[in-house]
Amino acid sequence: MIGFIILFTFIALIIVAFAALVQKKLEDSIILFMGIGLGSVILFFTFNAPDVALTEAVIGSGVSTFIFLTALKHLRSEQ
Amino acid sequence: MNLKRKLALSDISGFALASVLVLTIFNVILQNSLLTQNSAGNALLALSSHEGVANAVTTVVVYFRGFDTLGEIAVLFIASLGIGLILENPHAKQGKKEESNFMLKTAAKLLFPIILLFGIYIMVYGHLSPGGGFQGGVIIASGVLLLLISSNNFHMPHKLIAILETFAGISYVFIGLIGLLLLDTFLGNFLPHDISQMGMLFSGGIIPIIYIIVGIKVGSEMSFIVQNLLQRGEHD
Amino acid sequence: MIEIILSYLNQDIVIQKIVLIGSMSLLLIGLFGLLTQRHIIKVFMSVAIMESSLFLFFIGSTFNKNFTAPILGDGHVDFIHMNDPIPHAMILTAIVIGMAVLALGISFAIEYFKLTSITDIDRMNEMKN
Repeated sequence: MIGFIILFTFIALIIVAFAALVQKKLEDSIILFMGIGLGSVILFFTFNAPDVALTEAVIGSGVSTFIFLTALKHLRSEQ
Repeated sequence: MNLKRKLALSDISGFALASVLVLTIFNVILQNSLLTQNSAGNALLALSSHEGVANAVTTVVVYFRGFDTLGEIAVLFIASLGIGLILENPHAKQGKKEESNFMLKTAAKLLFPIILLFGIYIMVYGHLSPGGGFQGGVIIASGVLLLLISSNNFHMPHKLIAILETFAGISYVFIGLIGLLLLDTFLGNFLPHDISQMGMLFSGGIIPIIYIIVGIKVGSEMSFIVQNLLQRGEHD
Repeated sequence: MIEIILSYLNQDIVIQKIVLIGSMSLLLIGLFGLLTQRHIIKVFMSVAIMESSLFLFFIGSTFNKNFTAPILGDGHVDFIHMNDPIPHAMILTAIVIGMAVLALGISFAIEYFKLTSITDIDRMNEMKN
């Protein structure tokens, strides 16, 4: 069962990463980037590393998304 | 336009072919070398049972690799220093933004104490359960981010951040030097760390104290980064 | 049929191969984005994806499904039969450092945009001549 979970999550991660990079709208791209953080959390927890999973849950899907959204707000403010 | 689309398609297909080749080579080369016995990890696990800390990752981060952790929070400090140098505007005009939502304001008032408490819990129990200073500090910074988004005139005072960060950095080095004086190693564990106390809140000697110090430093630096990124464009 | 597939996927060597091929594919996708996308936010995002794939490879390469997490809990009294804690400790700090460095790069990009109104990295050529 563990092998199936790892395989499935890796396939989902690869699809989400490719979709995040080829989106036209930057907002969609940033929200899909958040999905990469969530998939990484599942994988880290499956790999018996709960400390790393906690860190990735806070940073990878929380603060990184905030940083990208703030950058988007600033980069569009004067157009 | 048509030529451009064809070029992009051939680019993608060539890239996919190159990826398959590289993956095959990786698969052949690393086929048998990955399943190695973790001898260094087993040695560290055997050593970490002498420190009386239930979470072996905490022992490795704070005790065996304590000097590296000092270097890494120095890297974090330099990154936040660069952000402050680039983005911070000391002559900022306060106020004059659009009013935030009523629901956001009420929820922020309700949620901020809970987030702060959760961050402190993660920080203090870092030697017993998953968690520690890095995670707890970032959770506290996300609580500060909630306040910054919701409130119009909330501003982390610069002097408070400076005092917290200086206190944390100095006390980390100071505890390490006391260990050097008493036990002849930097960050030596000079407080009592009995193995029979393992699993209690007061156990492990200096390890939880140092992780709390790391949490204070990471929390103040992350709050500084978040505040500078958020308030950059609003006072030009 | 399903049981055969599941038991095949549960072998140690198969799990190692899945981790290796999956994380390297993520690395190559990040490289693809770095080479084809021209917006500065997309470039930073590609670098973050490559970083994330390296973290996954580092943790997954020492994973053993018969061992437990390196934390003493209910029933465990000794530090044996546990996963290697060294990669966990290294990646734990690397994630935090990576986010701070990403914020530094984003702040450089914001300041550059305020000065020149350019977000396309092909047009950032002030230093060329």
